[in-house]
Amino acid sequence: MIDKLAFLFSEGLKTLMRNRLANILCLITIFINFSVLGTFFIIGFNTDSYINIFRTKYTFEVFFVQDIDQKSIDIVTNTLEQSSMVQKIELVDKDDAAEIFNEEFGENIESLLGYNPLPISLRVDLSRTNFDLDQVETLVNNLQKEISVDEINYRGSYIKDIEDRINLVLFGFLLLVIGILFISIQMISNTISLSINTRSKFIDILKYNGATPLFIKTPFYIESFVLSVFGSFLAFMVVSLVFDFINSYLMLSIRIDNNLWIWMISFSIIVGFYASSKSLNKFLN
Amino acid sequence: MISFNKTTFHYSKDSGIYEIDLKINSNEFCFLLGPTGSGKSTLMKLLYFDLFPTNGEVEIFGHSSKKINQKNVYKVRRDLGIIFQDYKLIKQRSVFDNIALPLRIRGESRAVIKDLVDEAIELTELKGLENKFPLQLSGGEQQRVCIARAIVKSPKLILADEPTGNLDPASGYRILKILEQIHAEGTAVIMATHNYKLISEKDYRIIELKKGRIVSS
Repeated sequence: MIDKLAFLFSEGLKTLMRNRLANILCLITIFINFSVLGTFFIIGFNTDSYINIFRTKYTFEVFFVQDIDQKSIDIVTNTLEQSSMVQKIELVDKDDAAEIFNEEFGENIESLLGYNPLPISLRVDLSRTNFDLDQVETLVNNLQKEISVDEINYRGSYIKDIEDRINLVLFGFLLLVIGILFISIQMISNTISLSINTRSKFIDILKYNGATPLFIKTPFYIESFVLSVFGSFLAFMVVSLVFDFINSYLMLSIRIDNNLWIWMISFSIIVGFYASSKSLNKFLN
Repeated sequence: MISFNKTTFHYSKDSGIYEIDLKINSNEFCFLLGPTGSGKSTLMKLLYFDLFPTNGEVEIFGHSSKKINQKNVYKVRRDLGIIFQDYKLIKQRSVFDNIALPLRIRGESRAVIKDLVDEAIELTELKGLENKFPLQLSGGEQQRVCIARAIVKSPKLILADEPTGNLDPASGYRILKILEQIHAEGTAVIMATHNYKLISEKDYRIIELKKGRIVSS
C-alpha cells in the first residue's frame, strides 16, 4: 500500500513538472482569484464588524406627555430597566431640555415664549453585547403604547435602511465571488485537461494494464491539490501584507480573521478537487 | 471462457465486424488471420472492452459486454495481458519500470515486483537491458518488453494484436516462440496477424476474417 501511494505521489509530482508552463499559468490564476476572494472576505468581515459598532452606538429618546407625574415616569423606566439591551437610562427634565435648546439654538425658550413647553424625556443607551435590532423595535413599539409616552425619537429604520444598502453591496460581492469561483474552476479544469491530453498515452497504458479509475485520477488530484494549496497560500500572504500596509499607512484598523488562511486554502482545495473531477470524468468516460 | 454471440460493431457503413459467432476455450492458442481492415483489431478491442458491440454480445471470464459497468472494466483487464503492434511503452521509463507497471497498479510490494519482473525478463530474454529506455532498444526488443509487461501479472489470456507487424522475420519468429512458451506454461493466447507465412507451419487453430466476417475457424 505504501509503495502504491509513493508511486502515485511521485506520478503526481512528475505531472506537475512536465506541464510547467500550464501549471505556472494556473498557479497565477488561482493566486489572482483567491487574492480578490480574500480581499472580499476581509471587506465583508469588516463591514459586518462596522455595522455592529454602528448599531451599538444607537440610542433612542422617549418623550413624555406634558404634566406627567413621577409614577408614570417610573413605570416606563422600570420597563426599560427590565430589558437586557438597555445599558443606561438618563432622565432629561424640563430644565435640562431648556438648557439643550439653549445650547443648540442660542435662545432661552422661557424668555422667548414665557413658559417652557419642552417635555420631560428619557435618553436610552443600548448595550453593545446584547444588541438585537428586532428586540429594540419590539421594545419601542411596546413603549409607544403607554399613555404617558408622547413620542419616541427612534432611528432604527434609518439603520435598517443603511443595513439594507450594505447587504445589497455584500450581495454584489457574493455574485463577484461566484464569478471568481467559476473562473477558478474553469482554469484549473483546463490545466488538468491539458495535463490529461499530454499524458493521454500514459493514461491509456494504465487503463489497458488494469488500473482502476481512482488510480488513474489520483496523480491529477495531487497536481490540483498542490496548485490549489500554493496558489491560495500565496494569495493569503499577499492579501495579509497589503492590508497590514494599508492599516499602518492610512492609520486604519481593518481586521483580518485569524482563520482566513484556513478558509482560503480549504476553499481552493475543494474548488481544485471539483475542477479536476470535472475534467477527469469527461476524459475517462 | 470467451464467446462472441452475433456480435456486430461498425465504425461506419462499410467498416467493422458483422454477426460474429465464436467461442474460444481456456488454454487455447489461436490465430486471428486476415488482411488489414478485416476486423482483427476490432475483435481484440471488443475483448478488452475498449469497444462495445453495436449489436450482440461479447462474454469474457463471465463478464458480459451488455452488463459490465465502465467502472468495472479494469477487473477484466487485470486478467488480460495485452500486446500491441506499436508496443505502447512509456518512453521516459526504464525497461524494468515499464514491465513493473501492472504490478504497481496491483499494489504489489517492491520485493514481489523485483522477483516477478526478473522472471519475466528472463523468459523474454531481456537480461542486461533492465535499465535501458525504450528508445534505446530495437523494435524486437521493445516488443519483448511489451510481452514481459503482459505476462508479469500472470494473466489468464494474452491478446497479441499484430505483435510481429513492425518486425523483421527473425524477430517475428522469436516473438512467436516466446508466445508459444507462455502458452506451454498454461496461459491462453490469441494472436492477430496478417502474416500467413509466419504461422503456416504451426498446428494451432486459425480463425480467418475477411471484411469483418469469419471465413473459417
